[in-house]
Amino acid sequence: MSRLSWIKTALEVGVVTKKYPFERVEVPDGFRGLPIFDSGKCIGCTACANVCTPDAIKVVNDFTNGFRRIEYRLGKCIFCGRCADVCPVSAITITKEFELAYTGDVINAIEIKFIKCVQCGQYYTVSRHLKHVSSKLNDEALEGVDICPDCRRRSNINSLIHASGVFR
Amino acid sequence: MNIYKKSIWVFHLNTGGCNSCDIEILDVLTPYHDVERFGIKLVASPRHADALLLTGPVTKEILPKVIDALLAVPEPKLVIAIGSCTTGGGIWYDTYSTIGGLNELYKVLKEEYGVPEPSTVKIPGCPPKPESIIYGIALALGVVQQKVTTTTARVE
Ligand code: SF4
Ligand code: SF4
Ligand code: SF4
Repeated sequence: MSRLSWIKTALEVGVVTKKYPFERVEVPDGFRGLPIFDSGKCIGCTACANVCTPDAIKVVNDFTNGFRRIEYRLGKCIFCGRCADVCPVSAITITKEFELAYTGDVINAIEIKFIKCVQCGQYYTVSRHLKHVSSKLNDEALEGVDICPDCRRRSNINSLIHASGVFR
Repeated sequence: MNIYKKSIWVFHLNTGGCNSCDIEILDVLTPYHDVERFGIKLVASPRHADALLLTGPVTKEILPKVIDALLAVPEPKLVIAIGSCTTGGGIWYDTYSTIGGLNELYKVLKEEYGVPEPSTVKIPGCPPKPESIIYGIALALGVVQQKVTTTTARVE
């Protein structure tokens, strides 16, 4: 008897199978899928790489060829969305894309050019980042932003020595 | 990628993941998603399987067993790596007790057993949606095209 009642239940419920591959599915709002990096906006600040738990975003500073590489590796990403939360210029969008299966490796990279120190001529930072930071500083603080940390340290020490009057 | 003309039978192997990916695999097998309509069937032994469903970051403890299972699958074999743990180590990529995912597993396989990489489809996600898994299997069967690609943008 009880088995017959199962059949009744099954008939009442009907077909539940989703048609997925042959039909699009809607993902709910707030679903975190593939993060997309906007190379036009990214300033190369590396904040996203700092917070990325599985190190899916890696920063490679190539001082010889003069660029910083922000490298996003799809296979390592856990789609937590922290990178998009911290990005100061909203260069990262968490999309609803979930059809992410791949073969081989998938790496999305942004390579941002370094600028050179006006004193020693070494690459030291990315110009976009410098511009972004400069726009938030007053004129006094802006002094010496176009020289690298090493040169700045040297010139600071020189001026200290000068001011103390020890070596005259 | 299309090496299978017929139904694929799969063997499910958790290599130390947190079980969420395994729950999603079960989801895929329930009447709600029902992959048996594509001829995909879960089997109890790797010797009966065409494909290995791997989840988890491959802990050091389970490494020999994973290799045994992988070698037991007859050729041509397919590995379907499910979850970020397997595809790249996930959040456990540098933990003391795991080897850090599929790439490391393949390295061990090549260096110590002389076995080349089997053809592999990777499905990232933590865990991936059941639909992602179905999409990944469709990619393995050559029914759909890969959507994501490697890109490099060089800017000033
Ligand atoms: S979504 Fe999370 S895991 Fe993925 S790149 Fe961003 S911070 Fe890293
Ligand atoms: S946090 Fe945003 S701006 Fe900074 S490196 Fe990442 S993507 Fe670029
Ligand atoms: S990928 Fe995420 S959900 Fe899947 S086993 Fe690993 S930690 Fe768990």
